[in-house]
Amino acid sequence: MLPALSKSGSLASVVALLALLTSPAMAADTAESARIRDLEQKLEHSMKMIENLASKVQQLEQAKTTPVAVAAVASSQDARIDDLQKQVSDITSARSRASDDGLPIHGFTDVGAGRSTQDNAVYGKGAKGFAVGNFDLYLTPQFGDRVKALVELNFEIGTPDSLATPQASGVGVDLERLQLGYTFADSATGWLGRFHTPYGYWNNAFHHGAQIQTAIMRPRFLDFEDKGGILPAHTTGAWLAGTIPLVGNKLGYDVYAGNAPQIIGSTLDMKMAGDFSHSTSTGFNVSFIPGDMPDLKVGLHGLRGLVHDDATTRNVTRLNMFGGYGVYNNDLLEVLTEYYYFRNEDISGSTGKHGSSAWFAQAGYNLSGFTPYVRQEKTTLDQTDNYFAGQTSGRSYQRSVLGIRYDLNLKAAVKFEINHTKQNDLGIGVSADGYNESRVQYAVRF
Amino acid sequence: MKILKISFLTLALLFASVAIADVFVIANSSVQLTGAEVRDVFVGDKQLAGAVKLIPVDNANVQSQFLAKVMKVDVAKYGSIWIKKSFRDGLIPPAMKSGDAEVLDYVKKTVGAVGYVSSAPSGVTVVQKF
Repeated sequence: MLPALSKSGSLASVVALLALLTSPAMAADTAESARIRDLEQKLEHSMKMIENLASKVQQLEQAKTTPVAVAAVASSQDARIDDLQKQVSDITSARSRASDDGLPIHGFTDVGAGRSTQDNAVYGKGAKGFAVGNFDLYLTPQFGDRVKALVELNFEIGTPDSLATPQASGVGVDLERLQLGYTFADSATGWLGRFHTPYGYWNNAFHHGAQIQTAIMRPRFLDFEDKGGILPAHTTGAWLAGTIPLVGNKLGYDVYAGNAPQIIGSTLDMKMAGDFSHSTSTGFNVSFIPGDMPDLKVGLHGLRGLVHDDATTRNVTRLNMFGGYGVYNNDLLEVLTEYYYFRNEDISGSTGKHGSSAWFAQAGYNLSGFTPYVRQEKTTLDQTDNYFAGQTSGRSYQRSVLGIRYDLNLKAAVKFEINHTKQNDLGIGVSADGYNESRVQYAVRF
Repeated sequence: MKILKISFLTLALLFASVAIADVFVIANSSVQLTGAEVRDVFVGDKQLAGAVKLIPVDNANVQSQFLAKVMKVDVAKYGSIWIKKSFRDGLIPPAMKSGDAEVLDYVKKTVGAVGYVSSAPSGVTVVQKF
């Protein structure tokens, strides 16, 4: 269609065409501007919304910080509670362990009555009537895991020949034991102080514990130094003891050294505070408990030391004791036996060596709380041995004992016992004194 | 006759249940111990486990089963063993706790503690079930 236009007409046509063409363009510009404004308004609205949202988000975040703080506080409180629990636990633990530091007092006491027909020049007349026995207290304080102590006090009624109480019927107090120990291992505990001399079985197992020994009386030759014993029942010195597992069995041992006793006033004196003429005694005790027979215990023991006396011409004797023992004790049957052989040597004189012996055997059987028991004891002591000749209790004797015990409960027992004693070595030309005794005892432990 | 049979069976079951009751020997986590050593611990022959002092405790509710199954002694003999141990060696006998809960609590909290309970516990070392 354009080639058909003239020149003048062509210009007009172009102008018209341009006008025709530009008029829609101008209209388009107007629409575009309106659209842009619209978009700007929308953008402005969106920005406001974003600002609002941002503000809300900020508020929400602020709101969220509070639970976080609470959680932090809670966590802190948990930690404090844990800490408190630990402290309480530690305190409880410490208190429970500190119970070892407390002083639970244990002990034994007994009362009874007796009658004796003894009547001879050496020992005099036997006692008759009611009697208060011993009141024995012992403490076992512990100072930490390995340090410990054993303290024992004994209140006893004196007899005329008692070192503790020279006056008859007086009450004497003996510091029976005062020993401080340290446990190196299960197989070794060391003690220093005054302790029960660990020979045989009876002396260390029962000692003043009347309630835990089946019979009323100790075997006389194993009695206390001031009550008829011929061996030092106590030693002041050092003692190492322990138990060693041995292929399913147990090997127990005691080795000790201390002040050797002296014979003062015809009685053994343990020399608790040493002495100007000090000499040392040494001893051992080795026991064996079979793994398949834990109720059985057999052992060997020995003791030696230089013993001085207070004679005008002082005698010095080397005490040499060696022996053995056996114990069987299950829920029903109890059998005890100990043997002592002496091979003492006269050091200050020229009488040489002297052989003597002492033994006892006891058996009891538990029948529903009643335990009848028998015991035989005998000593054959060489009277030319200064060690025995110097002691009032160093006379040979033999004794047969028959008794019955009834356990009222685990801590109280009533016993009745009779014995017949034949007392020898009462002097040249003096016949043996045979006498009977009967005793009843009510013994408790606590 | 029927009542007699029922009574007999009940008693038999009762005794059987008592006889098969388990005993769990437990220890504080500080303690290294074997089942074979338990008896020695409860008669005082084993006082240490390494450097840790052992503190055995008894359980009043389970003691009879424990003594029968583990220690092979009755209450009287057990008491006799400990009174001699205490008197001779200065050892302190195990403290008596009232039951499982008290034993468990004590063993958990006490370094060196060894005890026994009647049911499988948690939070402690089970040395051995007997």
